[in-house]
Amino acid sequence: MADSNIRVLIVDDERSIRRFLRTALGGQFLIFEAANGTDALAAAASDRPDVVILDLGLPDIDGIEVTRRLREWSQVPIIVVSVRDQEADKIAALDAGADDYLTKPFGVGELMARLRAALRRSSQTESEPIFTAGDLTVDLNLREVRSRGQEVSLTPTEYDLLKTLIKYAGKVLTHRQLLRTVWGEAYESDTHILQVNISNLRQKIESDPARPVHIVTEPGVGYRLKIG
Amino acid sequence: MNQVNSLSRKAFPYVLAFLFTIIVTFVLLPFRDGLQIATVVLVYLLPVGASAALWGLGPGIISALASFLLLNYFYLPPYGTLAVHDTQDILVLLMFLLLTVSVSQLVGSMTRSLAVAREQEHEISRLYELSLAFSKLHRESDILNALALQTSETFQADQTEVFIESTPQPKLTRFPEAASLNDTRVVPPTAVVPLQGNQRLLGEIRLWRVASPLNASEERLLQTFARQSVLALERAQLVTSENRARLLEESDRMKSALLASVSHELRTPLATITGALSSLLDEEIILDDDARTSLIETASEEADRLNRLVGNLLDMTRLEAGSMHIKLESHDIQDVIGSTLEELKLQLRERPVMLDLAAGLPQVKVDFVLIERVLVNIIDNALKYSPPDSAIEIQAGVGEQFMVVKVADHGIGIPPEDLQQVFEKFFRVKRPSSAGGTGLGLSICKGIIQAHHGLIAAENRPGGGTIISIALPLT
Repeated sequence: MADSNIRVLIVDDERSIRRFLRTALGGQFLIFEAANGTDALAAAASDRPDVVILDLGLPDIDGIEVTRRLREWSQVPIIVVSVRDQEADKIAALDAGADDYLTKPFGVGELMARLRAALRRSSQTESEPIFTAGDLTVDLNLREVRSRGQEVSLTPTEYDLLKTLIKYAGKVLTHRQLLRTVWGEAYESDTHILQVNISNLRQKIESDPARPVHIVTEPGVGYRLKIG
Repeated sequence: MNQVNSLSRKAFPYVLAFLFTIIVTFVLLPFRDGLQIATVVLVYLLPVGASAALWGLGPGIISALASFLLLNYFYLPPYGTLAVHDTQDILVLLMFLLLTVSVSQLVGSMTRSLAVAREQEHEISRLYELSLAFSKLHRESDILNALALQTSETFQADQTEVFIESTPQPKLTRFPEAASLNDTRVVPPTAVVPLQGNQRLLGEIRLWRVASPLNASEERLLQTFARQSVLALERAQLVTSENRARLLEESDRMKSALLASVSHELRTPLATITGALSSLLDEEIILDDDARTSLIETASEEADRLNRLVGNLLDMTRLEAGSMHIKLESHDIQDVIGSTLEELKLQLRERPVMLDLAAGLPQVKVDFVLIERVLVNIIDNALKYSPPDSAIEIQAGVGEQFMVVKVADHGIGIPPEDLQQVFEKFFRVKRPSSAGGTGLGLSICKGIIQAHHGLIAAENRPGGGTIISIALPLT
């Protein structure tokens, strides 16, 4: 994969973090750095990155604010980085337009998974009508879902939910985003109905619903459909 | 009208005394001829003494004067006149008057002394009751309630109010609770007594009594009540300060214990990490690939452990500071358990995990992240205190009011006497093999579960090992 053409902008005020990321990713990608919000916005404009890794704890401008401003003129994928217990900040960033998040301390494996997912084309239906991950296969043209070889029958709502997850496969979707997309704005705080449908979906497509491998829970934030 | 009534009420005993004397006169009259003057004189002492005893000095004197005149008129010759012929009779009359007046005064003052003594006894017993009531109370609000009640009963008040200048807001205690005088602010109180403390004015007692104002001894008693109350209130304040001081001491002690413990616990994994990494960097140390990988893995595991420890410490501080925000939302407990197992994936890779989740479990209102942390801590504990290949069992079921999740291990169990204490901060069961840890994990679990209005308990498993159960309220 000609990854070295891919441009990654790393935004973090900690020098050691930037160093670690440059070391881990430098072999595969072209790395740009910024140490604060103002520089980040400038670098996004001048260096034209393909993906931005943005720390939420910046000294000058709030990371969420950076996301918002960036989204005013750019659709560049943004992965926000935050510490544990700042779920509210993560959700706010995701709602402001960020694509995914990482919790410090994180391992490189997680980082790579998020990066790949963020760089994937988001229009799944046009380019690839068939989604496959492990023992799950979904044909979006035929509306056919197969798990472990057997065809699975889903309710229309369950299918819509799965379709949304597939559209953003690999990326996290907040409760609110899922509710808004599948049920509409009126339901955006009705987590109950989301829980029930996720639970039913898992019963149908997971070999061990108690330890799901496809639809993974992001504690306090939302859900993610795992790819590969 | 009232004045006439009270006047007639006051005059009544005098009238009675007079009547009594007259009755005695006419009772004796038929026997006049057979009676000696000495006898008559002695008999007349009866109404005088009785009047003084029953109705006081005034009526006694009235009776004395009346009997003096009646004795002269009816019993000293010449009968029917106030004139006296026998000179001895004059002496008798004078002595009689002297005697009866003295008797009146004596009896009167005796009665008065008795009344005063009774009143004093009443005062003292009231004071005693008040002290007794206060002696058992340590809280300001209790003392104020007792004071209002006792004051109301002692003085037969229509309404009693106790006003205290306390922090953060002044307190007003009333007895009876519902103001019977339409608005106590409109009608001025019958009596007001300040509660004067050592250094400042604490407040005041206000009394309303429509029937009559307070007499002098009642005023005195009320003042004494006030003094007693001040003592009780100041004592209550001292008790509060003492408690606070004790808490601070306890808190300081815990902080020192925490610092010592934390220092050790943080340094241990760091030592391993430093050791491993420095070995990798050291040019003099020859390592093959397996050895290098092993060192790196060790450093990685210890870093995870350090991360968890820091998390626990943060949780603890947040719980202590009361700044733990609980976000309650409906969740599937299966979801929480699954997430927990995913989080502990690495540690559980060599362990059989048995899940027994009842079918059709309802959703439960929890803070997902926090309950996950509870389960992580519990399972982490189970892993620490059980053999490396023994199973971990997780069970979830629902009762009438609670969703119950149990985590069981096949380890060494907990001594029965420690089953309650394991949830206390820094508590470490005295075991030969110390598996490390600050002893915070379970106390954090307790804190989080309590914040959810749930229950957590430990018991020993019949076949050996520990079962930790958490109960989360359904709605």
